[in-house]
Amino acid sequence: MKFIETLKLAAAAIWAHKLRSALTLLGMVIGVAAVVVVVSLIQGFNAYIDEKIANIGAKSYTIGRFSMDDFKDTDSIAAAQRRNKELTLEDFEFLKTRLTLTDKFAAGARPQRAQIKRGNEILQDVAIDGKQPLMGDIEKVDVADGRYFTDVENNEAARVAFIGSDVADKLFPNGDAVGGEIFINSLPYRVVGVRTAKGTVFGMPQDTFVTVPLMSYRRNFGALRNWRSVYFQGTAKDDKQFEDAVDEAKQWMRVRRGLEKGEKDNFGVFTPDSITGLRDRLFGTIFIVAIAVPAIALVIGAIVVMNIMLVSVTERTKEIGIRKALGARRADILKQFLVEAVVLTIIGGFAGVVIAWLLGIVVSMYVIQTYLSLGAIGLAILFSGGAGVAAGIFPAWKAARLDPIEALRAD
Amino acid sequence: MESPTTVEPQALEHGDLLAHDAVPAALISMRDIWRTYEMGAEQLHALRGVSFDVQRGEYLAIIGPSGSGKSTLMNLIGCLDTPSQGRYWINSKLVSEMDDDELARIRNQEIGFVFQTFNLLARATALHNVELPLIYAGISSAERHERAERALRNVELGDRMTHRPNELSGGQRQRVAIARALVNNPSILLADEPTGALDTKTSYEIMELFERLHEAGNTIIVVTHEHDIAARAHRIIHIRDGQIERDERVEK
Repeated sequence: MKFIETLKLAAAAIWAHKLRSALTLLGMVIGVAAVVVVVSLIQGFNAYIDEKIANIGAKSYTIGRFSMDDFKDTDSIAAAQRRNKELTLEDFEFLKTRLTLTDKFAAGARPQRAQIKRGNEILQDVAIDGKQPLMGDIEKVDVADGRYFTDVENNEAARVAFIGSDVADKLFPNGDAVGGEIFINSLPYRVVGVRTAKGTVFGMPQDTFVTVPLMSYRRNFGALRNWRSVYFQGTAKDDKQFEDAVDEAKQWMRVRRGLEKGEKDNFGVFTPDSITGLRDRLFGTIFIVAIAVPAIALVIGAIVVMNIMLVSVTERTKEIGIRKALGARRADILKQFLVEAVVLTIIGGFAGVVIAWLLGIVVSMYVIQTYLSLGAIGLAILFSGGAGVAAGIFPAWKAARLDPIEALRAD
Repeated sequence: MESPTTVEPQALEHGDLLAHDAVPAALISMRDIWRTYEMGAEQLHALRGVSFDVQRGEYLAIIGPSGSGKSTLMNLIGCLDTPSQGRYWINSKLVSEMDDDELARIRNQEIGFVFQTFNLLARATALHNVELPLIYAGISSAERHERAERALRNVELGDRMTHRPNELSGGQRQRVAIARALVNNPSILLADEPTGALDTKTSYEIMELFERLHEAGNTIIVVTHEHDIAARAHRIIHIRDGQIERDERVEK
């Protein structure tokens, strides 16, 4: 018997009992939808971290005072605070002249909070930081209006500011921010550019900030120490050699700090990988549990399908007898019921994916961007088919081994 | 009486010999067929050493009261069951030792069943019902259609092809079943009480159809307990207590 015939048969049998098929599949559909929603939430979350926090797209590394491991617990933080010296601009110059694999290399300083004013409009508690002009390139800063700083402005410690879109909107409601004047701690700055709005990350607004050239930051806000300490960011000349570039920077930093071989780093290097690695360490188990729980619904759905397939075999004993009398082999009957179960569950899988997709749209609109990958869809369908095989094999086997004489005698 | 199980190894050697050297020329050949059912500790012999031949083109009735073993015999002839002991050939193929799948193939190729209760698939159209044996024979959809249509026209149901069984009268249903039985050109048309569920007038119509099919060269075996149905055949085998009581030719 050809496979296409088996498939047609399965479709006809499912269609003949539309309501029953639909009710049977309810569990499968909910299970698949739940699993797919969770997977797309996780993938959305991961993409979120990649994009907003790890800044995967920028493909840059950061050298800072502390490493990710230093934040393991309070003891390690305390130890790192004693051991890790703050980075300095001298460190920056030392590295800059020696790095051969790094393309762009720039320094920035951690932000502090300040009051910003224009006319009667006052913004409290705005994060202000200082950056070298090249940082704009490294971070792939999206300029909505105007421009980033120039080297000249940095070297002269010019009072110019690159501002977030929230700041621009509040202080310049007419949209004429570029060229305008704002007061930070009572000193006037000229706005040279506005960044494209980024929205929020984990509910934290990203567009309420002011960046000034690093040298202006140092001159007007104080030495680049303590909370204003500097960090460096670099990109590789060749993205394929990114790891090597990071390693080179790390080795020179160790030389600069005079670390012995085998001694622990007393500074931190962050790469997008180290951030996603941290994420996977922190959330990996949670993700597994989050997928496993709705997967239980899938298992229950499969059991329901098996139950209905068993009922179906009993109901159709006569039909099986007739088919056997007319020349159906065991394999034909087995295939008929197995394919029916698999087609049924794959339909359930598709329905589940569609529901998950719709739910994803809603969740993306109101909660967090979800990401439904083709891989997840494929896996869901494959898994549904697998559940169909698992649920169908026993009923199908029961049907196949029915004695034709007994089966024909059934009502 | 000897136990069939103890005789089996010897019989197998014998069978091999026959299979190679003395394959009977008849369309159907049964030799010393036993069918024994185990009922707990007891053995129930439904057939006790039945032997007969059926030639190509014969019209044979097997008649006997209920419990005579005729249903068991029909199941064996139809390859729905295998004998506990004995040799059975259809079309020179030794079917008595075939496994389930080989038997399914023989049923598909060599046997056309007609049942008392028609046994049509309720959800399928007449055409689809007739196509069923061809599906299991692996025949392409276009050819299947054409052959099933021809078979239905042969039983004068050309205008009922898309009807479902519940839209057909009893006689029409039985004619669909007959079309289905014949569609794959089997060696034997095997009918089990074919008129048992029909009124007298329709019964005659069906028996006339059998007559016509016989004249067209089909080999027909009808299993029945009704004498006037059996009398239509050209040869009657009387079964009683699991044995052939009489094997008579009917002069027409």
